Amino acid sequence: MAQIFSRTADTWFRAALVSILLGALVLIIGPEVIARSQYVTQVARTPHQPVPFSHKHHAGELGIDCRYCHTSVETSANAGFPATHVCMSCHSQIWTQAEMLAPVRASLAENKPLVWRRVTRIPDYVYFRHDIHIAKGVSCFECHGRVDRMPLMVRAKAFEMHFCLDCHRDPAPRLRPRESVFDPDWTPPADRRALGDQLMRRYHIHNAADLTHCTVCHR
Amino acid sequence: MSGPLDIGALRAKLEGRQGRAYWRSLEEAAADGDFEEALKAEFPSQFEYWQTNRRELLRVMGASLALAGVAGCSSRRSDEAIPYVNRPEDMVEDRDGRYATAILFDGYAQPVVATTHAGRPTKLEGNPDHPASRGATSLHNQAAILDLYDPDRSQAPLLKGEAASWSDLDALMARLRRQWTASGGAGLALLIGPTSSPTLVRQLGELAKALPNARIYGFDPLEDFRRAATSALFRRPLDILPDLSRARVVVSLDDDLLGPGPAQVPNVRAWASRRGEKVAASERIRLFMAETTPTQTGAAALRRLAIVPSRLPLIAAAVAFHLGAGDAPEGGLSPQEAGWAADAARALAGARGASLVSAGAHATPAVQALAFRLNEALGNVGNTIHYAEPILFSAPTGSLVDLARAIVAKQVGTLVTLDANPLYAAPADLGFAALYRRIPLTIHAGTHADETAAASHWHLPLPHSLEDWTDGRAVDGNATIVQPLVEPLYDSRSIHSLVASLTGDAFQPPRDIVRATWPALDDKAWHEALRSGLVPNSAAAPVAAKPAAALGGATAPAGGEVEILFRPDPTIRDGRYANNAWLQELGKPLFKTTWENVVAISPAFAETLGAGNGDRLRVTSGGRSVEGPAWILPGQPEKAVTLFLGYGRRNAGRVGDGIGYDAYAIRTAAAPWSAPGEIEKLPGRKPIAVTQQYQAIDAEGADLVRTVAAASVVAEKPEETDRASFYPAWEQEEPAWAMAIDLDLCTGCNACAIACQAENNVPVVGQDQVRRGRHMHWLRVDLYHAGGLDHPDTMFQPVPCMHCEQAPCEMGCPVHATVHSPDGLNEMIYNRCIGTRTCSSYCPYKVRRFNWFDYTSKAPASIQAQRNPDVTVRGRGVMEKCTYCVQRIRGAAVDADKEDRPIREGEMVTACQQACPSEAIVFGNMKDPNSAVARLRRSARNYSMLGELDTRPRTTYLARLSDRTEG
Repeated sequence: MAQIFSRTADTWFRAALVSILLGALVLIIGPEVIARSQYVTQVARTPHQPVPFSHKHHAGELGIDCRYCHTSVETSANAGFPATHVCMSCHSQIWTQAEMLAPVRASLAENKPLVWRRVTRIPDYVYFRHDIHIAKGVSCFECHGRVDRMPLMVRAKAFEMHFCLDCHRDPAPRLRPRESVFDPDWTPPADRRALGDQLMRRYHIHNAADLTHCTVCHR
Repeated sequence: MSGPLDIGALRAKLEGRQGRAYWRSLEEAAADGDFEEALKAEFPSQFEYWQTNRRELLRVMGASLALAGVAGCSSRRSDEAIPYVNRPEDMVEDRDGRYATAILFDGYAQPVVATTHAGRPTKLEGNPDHPASRGATSLHNQAAILDLYDPDRSQAPLLKGEAASWSDLDALMARLRRQWTASGGAGLALLIGPTSSPTLVRQLGELAKALPNARIYGFDPLEDFRRAATSALFRRPLDILPDLSRARVVVSLDDDLLGPGPAQVPNVRAWASRRGEKVAASERIRLFMAETTPTQTGAAALRRLAIVPSRLPLIAAAVAFHLGAGDAPEGGLSPQEAGWAADAARALAGARGASLVSAGAHATPAVQALAFRLNEALGNVGNTIHYAEPILFSAPTGSLVDLARAIVAKQVGTLVTLDANPLYAAPADLGFAALYRRIPLTIHAGTHADETAAASHWHLPLPHSLEDWTDGRAVDGNATIVQPLVEPLYDSRSIHSLVASLTGDAFQPPRDIVRATWPALDDKAWHEALRSGLVPNSAAAPVAAKPAAALGGATAPAGGEVEILFRPDPTIRDGRYANNAWLQELGKPLFKTTWENVVAISPAFAETLGAGNGDRLRVTSGGRSVEGPAWILPGQPEKAVTLFLGYGRRNAGRVGDGIGYDAYAIRTAAAPWSAPGEIEKLPGRKPIAVTQQYQAIDAEGADLVRTVAAASVVAEKPEETDRASFYPAWEQEEPAWAMAIDLDLCTGCNACAIACQAENNVPVVGQDQVRRGRHMHWLRVDLYHAGGLDHPDTMFQPVPCMHCEQAPCEMGCPVHATVHSPDGLNEMIYNRCIGTRTCSSYCPYKVRRFNWFDYTSKAPASIQAQRNPDVTVRGRGVMEKCTYCVQRIRGAAVDADKEDRPIREGEMVTACQQACPSEAIVFGNMKDPNSAVARLRRSARNYSMLGELDTRPRTTYLARLSDRTEG
């Protein structure tokens, strides 16, 4: 009677077992890796802009306050993009002939808005509001990174749900006094949590349950 | 449903019932097998599928799988950010702007405050500063925002149906003006729809002076008999302004005071001020209603008498006789009629100076005159009723009938029709369409290229009132300057510019024309009038008037087999709103049919005819006939058939075309509101898209709506809710949001339902989907009857989500897509929802709605512009329901949080609460003992719907107070 299994059958069987296990592992881990990759989260993304505007120069070196351009950050859900007119309030006086600024001058002359590319964005089903975060002592730099050190604007954080939840579950170590919210050079005290706990009480910041239920962000 | 209902058996069954049992529809009352089965199915549509064969089921499943694959794909959003070049001062893109203005409705101004998002009007609310609104709106005001974005609005001038330019028209007008200047306007005729605009009235006065031979005609298909009656009786036309807030007894002779119309909001508000929690029993309003077709006023009445129109003069005469005015009416009254008249007269006599006799807009001049006399005799004039100069413009040369005569006499060379649609709504006996085509030059201006536009040489687009400068007066005479909120979306021209162009070419911008009407306002006062939406001291001054002459006797006209009534449709009126999908899909308040008009017949007459709901009927009057589906209306008197105007449109647009029958086809100029006729049943039946029997609550014997005798109500007695539960009690944190709905104040007007639709981006699904029970309204107004078929009591119950503390839906959801928030909201998370619909089958209140198809993403771009950006637009396959306007709650919370304070009482108002003219809906923090909602929840009238299930709803109801002794 002929052999049913060849000599190599055991080897094949073992190889198959191992590759099924490995394959399953890849199928489980792979998507997780991809989901966390910069390709998906777009962290460090630097989209091409019509004008190579430098936050490092304006906010960092010149020390212009965030609110000079992002005027509605304290009063509205959107921080607001500056109108061409805001750029030209300085650049009608300085760097009036700079090649780099030609699109800005053209925008004003032709009354056509500049078209910027968003660096950070959240999905439509998230109802984020800048004003309340600023009012409760969450600094710009907490989400947008050290903008004052960015020659070109770069996405600093992943802006995924866990990023928001990390803070909503435990806001204390990420808070600042209101007066330092826009200050890039603010240095946290040694015990930031103690300060945070104090600020939580001072600003009547809700507990985690109130900050993490669904309709806080989704409606 | 199989075969017509056995009305006789049903009547016997209802009469055999003990106590006050409520029923929602005839099918439910009959409790036939079909209804029971449809009730058990969570959505009736499934019930249909289960009746189909296996092959059909597989086909349907295959289709949905294919769709599921497609639904997963979506294009990437644009990541462009486009700022202003020069930002307008105080402009913040995403902060709401609010502007006071007005919507024009039947010619009257309806004061509103419009909300804009990024310059785009998205929502209308009542104007709290205006006496005719006090912050409330009607359902038509709420729906007006959709008309602005109607993709079928006329978008450019048309010459013989082809696109033309305004400069072509200007050239034509220049030529015509030369002729008219020479001839004094001979041959020029204007036909104007109803208007109260002081500017238009001024312009037409100036036109009449400049072109003395020009003729100005008016056309309003809903014109009532009041003007004719006052003209005859007082020798001049007058408006009648009732004040229900000062009346303890109201006797209405077929006057739908609380029903749809320009005066609905102030009337309902005044009525509600004499009902509900705070009003002493002796001060409560007592309403006696004699009417034909059941109305909201009849539903609110203490005593309702169902009569055919020809009996109304006799009833009125009987009331007068009991009060010592006039002789006993000839011909006998039935015991019911006599009893009603005697009781009404007794009540009137007991409230002299604080009573009101109101004759309906459709009652004959003789009845109107009798009502004026009774008010005079009872000392009501100056107290509960005032006379005022007419608010609507009266055309100096007459009506459409006079225009038809002039056309026959070849006196009309050019007809300019402004904001009217005579080729659709003209009385059938005029033969107006043929006459119209005889006119050498016809120019039509309207918001839509309607039936009249199709027959005209020129059609000119008019702007929507939210795009235009104009003005108007509310029913109380108070004027509002209508300011534009947005640049005109289309190439339209203001009605004021058009009228100005008849006499001069250098016409001014519309704003300057309107400004010139108000020279008494200096610039400061003008800006204040714009800001507040109210021109100061513009209310109609009361006019003292004494009846001058007696009018003809009260005799019943000879009747045919049945009496046919013509009534404006409760939602789309005379057909003007036919292309408004919100109004089409809203169940008519008293019978809940949608998307078409019905022929309303009485149960008794249905029995005689052997007709059931949906059976084809032919109604004949004066040799003309229409065919429409039957609808059996409990409470309709036997020999009356009601036809509803506004349907059968041919050029309304994609929504309104080709649905329903055209009742104008048998309406005559001489008898516009009722006429004798015949009716016959034809073969054939069509299911009617009705919302009533869907979402019926499957709880036999549960008293879902309640009535309590006023005398038995004690001051405060909280409902007992501490029943044992398997689930841990919900910890009530502050704020604990709750809603209380007072059934004693609800008139069933449905303004809340449309307000909810506008606020929460609730989609429209269409006639076929409504037939399958898939309409999406988050807030429905249930209609209940009690008592027999022929004289039932009627009650309304708005049903939003109950936001149960022990919510069964939350137990059912396998993916936690519906969860509870600390402040007590039952939250719906669309992104988690996988569409199992378990929550809906667990919900005893049936308030959950499922997106069976993609109802939203294919909507025309202009409709998408209406949507509220603060609310997610739901896609296919997710469940949705009332959220207590969570976007407003979170917005209010942020505003309060920024100031480090709790949300104030009254700061958070839901859309339905804001719209409600009777303030029946109260929302607030029930943990605050001083809040309005907490006070109402302590009332002895407060009850939870299906409270025995121990779901502990946050939405509770207050039982209606019964003024009757026998409960």
